[in-house]
Amino acid sequence: MTVRKSFESLGGWSRHALFASAFILTAFSLAAVSPEARAEGIKRGGTLIMARPDEPLTFDPFIPGDNGSIYAIEQVCDALVEADDSGRGLRPGIAESWEMSPDGLTYTFKIRDAKFSNGDPVTVDDVVFTLKTLSDPSKYLAFVLKPVKNITAVDDKHVKVELKEPYAPLLSALSAYAASIVNKKAYEASPEKFGTSPVCAGPFMVESYERGSTVILKANPYYWDKGADGKPLPYLDGVELKYVPESNSRVLGLRNGDYDMISTVAFNQAKALQSDSNLVVESTPIFRLDYVYLNHQKKPLDNKDFRLALNYAADREAILKAVYFGYGEVPNSYMPKVNFHSDTVPVIPFDLAKAKELVQKSGYDGTPIQIMVDTGNAPSRQVATILQQGWEAAGVKSEIVEMDVGTAWTMTTKGDYQAYVSYITSDINDTDELATIQADVTAGSQAFFTWYDNKDVQKMLTEARREPDPAKRAALYAKVQEIVYNDAYSIPLNFAPVINGSQAYVKDLKQLANGWWWLQKVWLDK
Amino acid sequence: MNLLSYIVSRLLQMIPVVIGVSLVAFLAIHLVPGDPVQLMMHGRATPETLQAAHAKLGLDQPLLVQYWNFIRNAATGSLGTSIIQNADVGKIVGERLLPTVLLLVTSAVFAILIALPLSIIAARRSDQLADHVIRLLGIIGFAMPPFWVGIILMLFFGIYLDWFPISGYGRSFGDRMYHLVLPSLTIALFLAPILIQSLRAAILDVMTAEYITVARAKGLGPWRVLIKHALRNALMPVTTILAVNIGWLLSGAVVVEYLFSFPGLGSLLVRAVGQRDYPVIQGLSLVFAILVLFVNLLADLSYMLIDRRVLKA
Repeated sequence: MTVRKSFESLGGWSRHALFASAFILTAFSLAAVSPEARAEGIKRGGTLIMARPDEPLTFDPFIPGDNGSIYAIEQVCDALVEADDSGRGLRPGIAESWEMSPDGLTYTFKIRDAKFSNGDPVTVDDVVFTLKTLSDPSKYLAFVLKPVKNITAVDDKHVKVELKEPYAPLLSALSAYAASIVNKKAYEASPEKFGTSPVCAGPFMVESYERGSTVILKANPYYWDKGADGKPLPYLDGVELKYVPESNSRVLGLRNGDYDMISTVAFNQAKALQSDSNLVVESTPIFRLDYVYLNHQKKPLDNKDFRLALNYAADREAILKAVYFGYGEVPNSYMPKVNFHSDTVPVIPFDLAKAKELVQKSGYDGTPIQIMVDTGNAPSRQVATILQQGWEAAGVKSEIVEMDVGTAWTMTTKGDYQAYVSYITSDINDTDELATIQADVTAGSQAFFTWYDNKDVQKMLTEARREPDPAKRAALYAKVQEIVYNDAYSIPLNFAPVINGSQAYVKDLKQLANGWWWLQKVWLDK
Repeated sequence: MNLLSYIVSRLLQMIPVVIGVSLVAFLAIHLVPGDPVQLMMHGRATPETLQAAHAKLGLDQPLLVQYWNFIRNAATGSLGTSIIQNADVGKIVGERLLPTVLLLVTSAVFAILIALPLSIIAARRSDQLADHVIRLLGIIGFAMPPFWVGIILMLFFGIYLDWFPISGYGRSFGDRMYHLVLPSLTIALFLAPILIQSLRAAILDVMTAEYITVARAKGLGPWRVLIKHALRNALMPVTTILAVNIGWLLSGAVVVEYLFSFPGLGSLLVRAVGQRDYPVIQGLSLVFAILVLFVNLLADLSYMLIDRRVLKA
């Protein structure tokens, strides 16, 4: 499914919600977004063995920010609203339907008859408890519910979320892993125990959790969603998530038949793996942008012409070929391609003459700039080297410094750097999260440690957040994209995709744009 | 000196060393820039969130206070709670301890099994072809990075011959030993050349001793002299080398654990340092210090078994 298509289907219902007051969104209009499953030929049963580069550190949805945990939590927990099977749209989760008040300040969610993996029914108490816990400012993802004023149970089937101001991305925010509905009793009894044996209402449940090695998930017998055959999902009996950090080891294991699926194949290994006819190797665009962070507080990066020069002297095509082996797309934005991405913003071309001219204009005094990379990260180092050559040709001197990732990241957050080769990913499928974090210096993380301060952009972002009409929001975000990108906010490198490999008998496996995988409808044809 | 009081005094000597190591590790990791909360949230945390989380974790207190809290808790047997995993550090480390200890023990056993026969042959045929070949192989083995050796072993024994699993740890004891073969062999191939070198030298050295001449004069065959009389004394330096190298072996295990997706202490440490999970790093530094000291104590005790004279000295 393409971005635009899912955006239109999402836009369709939102406009409807706007014009019809208190319009009840039924499950059907969203179910139409996800492609119909073929009932015949689907085989139930079996265990999918999957090797991935990260491991979950906890299943407590309120704690983590790492993909190892987030992607695993997504298999085990459902939130009120869930990402669809592309990751770009939304579908009902624990909430069967919801309605928005005409002023956009109150959402009422109807809770479906769902059960937790221990057989307890999901109640409004569990929902209110979850959302209140997440809103506690000491919880790391609390900011996604910042505009929320109050969360209350209306009756034993409905939960009301009241907002301080209109907040268009609310549904996307409620689909985040951290808004996963937890069993209040189990969580309150022991959050620590919940971290290893969670009680949630997702398609799978944790059978065993051996840190550093394997998580064994088995099908949640009480899962609410049904498969094409009318029986409860998932089709699989279980999933083994193996923690295999080394990229070569994953590839060898897949070739050897030890794994049914491996996630995150290194770009330099994908082509070779593709030649094996027993395997399926797929590259999927995700909400990720690899880019060079620039600190606008440091001279000479405070000068827009200078930052633009760095962009004109960046040979992105060469980087795409040499570092990413052709996987990805030269970016035309300062942030990943999330739902309101605009394709019409032109890419800043590789133009050394223009770069030289801009360097002259900026009054650059020849002091070398430092470009920071994570120690041991060969692709980042390669990127830095290619950039260095282009900049040298444009008359900009630079030095590459290596720091371990923890140090590099902390120096970045403190503003103690000039340029840093890194990336960003989006947790939710609404542009608001990253647009605000990256481009609004007042939002709390210093415009993602660039200290980029543009009042017009801040105003437009606030407006877009409050605007219920998706078409108007899209226009605002497109404008922001054009301004921020051409202010040379950063040096965007690649809309980097993720590449997965699987055995040919693994069917209906989908990589979601949010990063995790749609495993509830996977079946094994063997 | 009586054996028991010797052990007790050695154990008491460990305490200041362990405290010293933990202090150095604590200061080192805290003086390097890094904020576990920022790292965990990849910059998403707002200033209020950061402040609340720091206060909850006690990271807003002066370093010495934080260290004192750690020592105080450690003395009562609690290593604290992991910031990232929100679980008891003692438990997390405990789960990983056995796999690493098993890995080190099997590696040492493999290394000895490889080194012993080869060094005997090398010593017996010193400066002949067999000796040169063994020494050359040793140099090659030592020069090959364990990471690369591991991949070669995986390809050959795991994929081509399909004899051994190439990653993970297994569930039952037998299955675990089976999973340990390739990672242990990788470490052993790195360790064996060092053992061969010292064992060969030690055997050659011992062979010139007078009691060997006596044994020969008694009419014993050369192999019997070697194995029965020379080897016992030659084994002493091997024990030392194994014990001295234990710290180094632990660090070598990191690479191997990573390559073979082996859930041991090494891979835990690497992740904890990357995430600045201070309680885990502090807990691990304690465990590593105790492990190294304990192995050295065992080595000293084993000298006594090999050579009773040490006990009298």
